[in-house]
Amino acid sequence: MKMGTDAETLPAQPEVHVPEYLEHSAWPVLIALATGVALTGLFFLFKHLVLLAGILMMLSFGAVLVGFLYSETKNWASAVGKSLPRLPRDTVLGPFPVDISLTIQIIILTELLLFGGAFGMYFAIRLQFPFWPPAGAPILDDFIARIQTLILISSSVLVEWAVWQLKRGRQRAFKAGIVGTTILGSLFPILQFGFEWPHLIFNNILTPASGFFGATFFLLTGIHGAHVVAGVIAYVYTDIRAFMGQYSPKNHGFVEATSTYWHFVHIIWLVLFALMWQGSRLLG
Amino acid sequence: MAGESTLRLKLEDFGTFVIFTAIYAAGTLGLPKIPLLAYQIKIGEMPSAFVAIFGMPAVFGLTLGQFIANLGVEASPIASLSPLFSFIGLLIIYYARKFSTLAGCIAYVIITSLWLTFLLPISSSIPMTEAGYSAFIDQFIAVIIGYCAYVLVSRTMLPKAQAASN
Repeated sequence: MKMGTDAETLPAQPEVHVPEYLEHSAWPVLIALATGVALTGLFFLFKHLVLLAGILMMLSFGAVLVGFLYSETKNWASAVGKSLPRLPRDTVLGPFPVDISLTIQIIILTELLLFGGAFGMYFAIRLQFPFWPPAGAPILDDFIARIQTLILISSSVLVEWAVWQLKRGRQRAFKAGIVGTTILGSLFPILQFGFEWPHLIFNNILTPASGFFGATFFLLTGIHGAHVVAGVIAYVYTDIRAFMGQYSPKNHGFVEATSTYWHFVHIIWLVLFALMWQGSRLLG
Repeated sequence: MAGESTLRLKLEDFGTFVIFTAIYAAGTLGLPKIPLLAYQIKIGEMPSAFVAIFGMPAVFGLTLGQFIANLGVEASPIASLSPLFSFIGLLIIYYARKFSTLAGCIAYVIITSLWLTFLLPISSSIPMTEAGYSAFIDQFIAVIIGYCAYVLVSRTMLPKAQAASN
């Protein structure tokens, strides 16, 4: 049997046009290097080593970011223009830019590495103490944390329900679910950065400077809070696209990717809740 | 839904997995135990029977939930083995669902309460007889409450959901 070439045996694939400016871009490397320089600068500043060098390093990071944004914004109008117009019913979008499930798996893997490192640091510090939280650390009131947990559970259930409705073509229920998830999600950082942190810091209950417990508490909850904010931004974008009719029973990869990220953020919160609030009550 | 017997999890199962993790962990850490006569009913144990509907994501979710809940309580290192025994019990519920979910639930109660009968005297110096009696009754009530909810859901809501899927 004659073996055909790929071109003969495979069905014709639609030609994918990759914009010129995305090919061989130096920005990812530059931003990565600038981030390293900025972190070194932060180290210099916090350790009061060479203040001028620290400031210059931070400024160089800012300059790279400004340069990146300046070069990118000129492409945003066309990118958004192509991405957001109302599509005809049952339009199936192609994979953008690659299979979204692979993309989200890579994102979750990198997040796992980040939080794995952060929790590794937490346990490494914790093991240095005969008991934890260390003497003098406060017993944290978990009232707000319980509300935040309830918010995340409700939002996870709601977004699963919304995706379920979308797969069955019920657009109104899907939109209601996804908007509800966004509202619930946005309550989380409001409670954290608007109530809990100011309450702890301004009443001198716990600050980043109050020993290892305070430092790890604000670092871990801060990293997590930043991820929640990113999740809320992703949901706002998902909402906009939902109301433009861009999702259908056949095209829901982005919604599922966003919800997967959200669930991951949720599971990290459960670990934080167990370690930071419930763990801090053991002395009580 | 747990239609096929497979250990392979897909990305779309992640939501179910996390929701069950949250129900166990938050139900144990964030909510108090329900007092019923002389017994303390742990809310986190109630959804065990739902493994028969939601399948392996629920098995892994409840197991991870127990692991996370154990992070937040002062427990002896040997208590960290508890999720392993729960996992075995939940697997039995999952594989027994085609014959009898109730039998699976009772097996789960027996396995977990036997483990607690061994564990509680070590971790909190409770006499073994008392620990065994208390553990069995606590687990039994919690799981049976969940089983009743499971029967209600599987006879009322599940047929509607399956009809909507078809």
